[in-house]
Amino acid sequence: MSRWTPRLALVCSLAVAAPLARPAVAPLAAQRPAGTVVLVLPQTPALPIPTLMEGPAAHTANFDVADQLFLRLAVPLPGRSTADERAFEPQLARSWSRRDSLTLVFDLDPRARWHDGVPVTARDVVFTFDRARDPRVAPRLARPLHWLEGVTAEGERRVVFRFSRAYAEQLYDATFHVQPLPAHLVARLSPEELQRSAFAQAPVGNGPYRWVRAVAGQTVELAANPDFFLGRPGIQRLLFRIATSPDARLNLLLSGEADAVAENLIPPLANLERLAPRRDLRLVPVPSNSLGYLLFNQRDRADHARPHPILADVAVRRALVLALDRQAMARAAFGSYAEVPVGPSSQVLWTRHLAGRAKGPDPALARRLLAERGWRDGDGDGILDRGGQPLALTLQFPAQSGLRRQMALQVQAQLRAVGVRLDLVPLDGPVWIERRSAGDFDIDFSSASQDPSPAGLLQSWSCGGIGGTNVAAYCDPRVDSLMTRAIVTRGDPAPLWREALRQIEADAPAAFLYAPTFVYAVHARYEHATLRPDSPWANVWRWSVRPGAALPRDRVSAGAAASSAAEAGR
Amino acid sequence: MARWLAGRLAQGVLTFAVATVLLFCLMRATPGDPLARLAGERQIDPADVAHLRARYGLDQPLGRQFATFVTGALRGDLGVSITYGRPVTALLRERLPATLLLVGTVLLVDFTLGLWLGVRQALARGRALDATLSTLSLAGYAAPSFWIGLVLAWLVGVEWRLLPAAGMADPLLAADAPWATRALDVARHLVLPALTLVVVSLAAAMRYQRAALLEVLAQPFMQTARAKGLPARAVVWRHGWRNALFPVLTLFGLWLPLLASGSVFVEAVFAWPGLGSLAAEAVAGRDYPVIMGTSLLVTVLVVASALLVDLAYAWLDPRVRHWT
Amino acid sequence: MRGSWRAALAAAWGRPGGRLGTLLLLGIVAAVALGPFLLPDPAAQPDILGGANLAPGAGHLFGTDQLSRDVLARVVAGGRVSLAVGGLAALLSATLGLLVGLAAGYRGGAVDAVLMRLVDAALVVPRLFLLLLLLAAWERVPLAALVVVIGATGWFATSRLVRAEVLRLKAEPFVLAAEALGAGGRRIIFRHLLPNALGPLVVAATLGVGEVILLEAGLSFLGLGIQPPTPSWGGMIYDAKDVLVTAPWGSVFPGLAIVLTVLAVHLVGDALHAALDPREAAIVAAVPAPASIPAAEPVTRLDLEAGLARMSDSREPAA
Repeated sequence: MSRWTPRLALVCSLAVAAPLARPAVAPLAAQRPAGTVVLVLPQTPALPIPTLMEGPAAHTANFDVADQLFLRLAVPLPGRSTADERAFEPQLARSWSRRDSLTLVFDLDPRARWHDGVPVTARDVVFTFDRARDPRVAPRLARPLHWLEGVTAEGERRVVFRFSRAYAEQLYDATFHVQPLPAHLVARLSPEELQRSAFAQAPVGNGPYRWVRAVAGQTVELAANPDFFLGRPGIQRLLFRIATSPDARLNLLLSGEADAVAENLIPPLANLERLAPRRDLRLVPVPSNSLGYLLFNQRDRADHARPHPILADVAVRRALVLALDRQAMARAAFGSYAEVPVGPSSQVLWTRHLAGRAKGPDPALARRLLAERGWRDGDGDGILDRGGQPLALTLQFPAQSGLRRQMALQVQAQLRAVGVRLDLVPLDGPVWIERRSAGDFDIDFSSASQDPSPAGLLQSWSCGGIGGTNVAAYCDPRVDSLMTRAIVTRGDPAPLWREALRQIEADAPAAFLYAPTFVYAVHARYEHATLRPDSPWANVWRWSVRPGAALPRDRVSAGAAASSAAEAGR
Repeated sequence: MARWLAGRLAQGVLTFAVATVLLFCLMRATPGDPLARLAGERQIDPADVAHLRARYGLDQPLGRQFATFVTGALRGDLGVSITYGRPVTALLRERLPATLLLVGTVLLVDFTLGLWLGVRQALARGRALDATLSTLSLAGYAAPSFWIGLVLAWLVGVEWRLLPAAGMADPLLAADAPWATRALDVARHLVLPALTLVVVSLAAAMRYQRAALLEVLAQPFMQTARAKGLPARAVVWRHGWRNALFPVLTLFGLWLPLLASGSVFVEAVFAWPGLGSLAAEAVAGRDYPVIMGTSLLVTVLVVASALLVDLAYAWLDPRVRHWT
Repeated sequence: MRGSWRAALAAAWGRPGGRLGTLLLLGIVAAVALGPFLLPDPAAQPDILGGANLAPGAGHLFGTDQLSRDVLARVVAGGRVSLAVGGLAALLSATLGLLVGLAAGYRGGAVDAVLMRLVDAALVVPRLFLLLLLLAAWERVPLAALVVVIGATGWFATSRLVRAEVLRLKAEPFVLAAEALGAGGRRIIFRHLLPNALGPLVVAATLGVGEVILLEAGLSFLGLGIQPPTPSWGGMIYDAKDVLVTAPWGSVFPGLAIVLTVLAVHLVGDALHAALDPREAAIVAAVPAPASIPAAEPVTRLDLEAGLARMSDSREPAA
């Protein structure tokens, strides 16, 4: 009987571990650099299928991959007004025109083809919009399309959009939200069948990249579509790697294993110290759709029929905003990569600078405002009180957000300085959202991702949004009227938006803390490496590798997954 | 013996059933909703949430949800993940190998290197070697695993670039690369996460082995063996460690779920695509089908390992058999 | 029993490891107890723009963190919380594990079957997952609740160990003899099983203290540990993770505090274990100077004395 001893097993395991030194680099096929981008995603893009990216599947990893596979009819030009019909760039639609104030007509580009070679037709567009407008199938898409009455085909290449009312952003709504699906492959599948279908595992799109393979929990590989009708992609292979921890994502980039991280890298500001000195990496700042604010609940958290005992008073809310050094907090968290917004304006909104600059802190004025409303420190404990009631509030935030944890501590210290006691309530993510939606809070540390159109503000900052996403019950009829007029006006909406934003800031429904610029890091060997605010990586097909700067991974060998690379003769 | 075995199997099935009910109740008793975590923080209308809730059957009474789950599970269908939109069984199948590889490697090292060091310590009891090994292994055990992982990934992966900083395989390696090349690639990715888990878990194996062996050394038969003039080393290896296996076996039965927890942090830090990270994501997102699926899978593993441990007990000490 | 513990404590103090551990632990407890009176306010944020992430120096011995708070003051303040949570939760786990393990192992039969099936079922779910599900139920987890929840989820493994030990002891001749002589259940449990099963329990409990402190750090990593503004060592490491490379002092000092504390607790536990366990002492007594254990060492004599003290103690009638 042979005896298995620990010592023997140790020797065995060492023998296995011995050849783990660097493996020899395989000789590369002598080919021209075709270009590879390795991009790290924070989540698995398990369902990058238009109309299915709903609920928990509506995350940026799915969006980032879907935007490579599926085109829109047209895309808004960065930084331009989404109400301006000339500020759009054609994609699937070659051109568009108006029949009247309620009808838009699109002519599809006859060169547009699905990756299986079948032309993109009006039927694809009609089919997909019918799905997208059904709130039971795609609530996220159906909501902004509720003024869209119907989409019909006129022949193979012409699509007609009919709206129920005239408003400035019809073109934006008709193009931005929905990416057409190939009706010839999926029309006979119900939404549930589509989700479980082979198509969902290997989607066929019409964009610059086509699906190659997915390795569970690790990678998604795309290859350039050599027949892409808008131009041959300069990058032949697009690899998405998945790393759920931000540390792992940054490490992959810093170790040279990845070319970019798909998300904003600041905060933490310390990342800047590590990225900035790297000559092989380039920082690309892009205006973001993100907005952070402290939302003041105007209703009693226990009884929604009654006003909030402290925060219903506009003077108190203004005082709280004045007590905060928002500029210093934004600097401490983002360095120079954020601005303090006036009203709910992230950097992607074209309206963001209409209302001027945010005011600085004024603790003395804050104290005076509070004193005028009867809040004084009667018992000498450093906390203001009125009629025996202390000026004490809670601030809830998701515990997993490092930025908000840190900033909440600063807010607490600064409010303490004017005599307001703030208790921090960090919550597990899902619990936080549940409480927020139920209006069960005093102050909520919110963070919103805004659509590039200011019309979206109506949902959260109008009386009509109460019961929906306006969870703090902010209601100012003047603001409602200004915003509605701005949305439907046939003239210049800018003055109306300016007034609306100023009025919101004056009403102080929230302390608007930061509107960051997202900072991405991209390997320095790429040319034309531009990022788009609405979809950062949608332009990757326009990038290319600078001649002479190619890395081994830029040589996509024939026989590798990307067969199209063989004919990459740029 | 067959009857005893059948009895133990039945107990195993019972454990499994009790755990399933416990887990289902616990999970649904906590607040939070999978559909609340919509689109990161994109704001969404409650009416829209209701539509989605109906789609995933979350509007049904709890009893019916449980019945649906059980009947499905019996047919090998664990439902569809809310986050991934794919069958849970498929997700588990994809993630299981990575975890088995990582945990298996760590187990192998713990139960070879760890036991061997434990024996050395027991023999050198009270001397400098014992104290040094104790202190070193304890220092590793005492450091948070994610912290060790972060330091290793930064130092070895980023600064020195000796080994990959994260992931399980080089995505640039062609799918048709030779078997050996791919195995070597995975092995290189495995080193840092496995090392991290070994550093934090080795101390436990060493300590249990040391304590167990010291007890055995005190037994009369050991003293007899020594009295017969056998050298200390031979006594230990021939008689001692076999009897010291009892507590270590118990430890083995507990080891799998412990490592499953430990690997949650390590898998996250190193982007290792295993069950630990899948389960952690599922808990954070309240993805009920995936939580149930991963828990059930771990259940099966633990029940099976407990059965193995009992069998080993019976084999090592016939007296135990009459007790159960 | 009390006498034997006093003797064991004395014996533990007599071993160099035990003495070092005790001194270390006393030092840590003293620093944590008295430190706050000498140090700046751990919550103060003097200058978030200019005073953040300062390296250790004259003004701040351990440097400052991302919010310009004094790291030394926070390590000390965090120690109070981490030590309290670790000690209490481990004590709770050990007690529960001992009771269940004794009951299951001694009673056997149906009691054993039911208890062990429940323990098996609870062990099936990794502790971390149980904690995540349980802790998410609170709006803001009170420290007491954290202690109870961690303690209540930590005893399953201990009960298995105690049960295994009891099973083994039940087959030992001295227990069989006691039973044959008509000793009652309580007497067998408290006279024969409990003292002999204490060895693995002490090992498990000491490992448990460190485990709880580490678990709290892990929960912090997932955002569910002790919440700000209450400082804890785990929470500090987590908060300083972003500046791990650029300002390492933020995580190194709380990390060292954890390592030193766990180490100290283990040294004390080991010494207690050696002193409490009659069989380990018996090795020294009965085996004539094996090569690996020098007989002349004073530690050995103390071991022997402690062991003998315990043996004679257990022969006396119960008080």
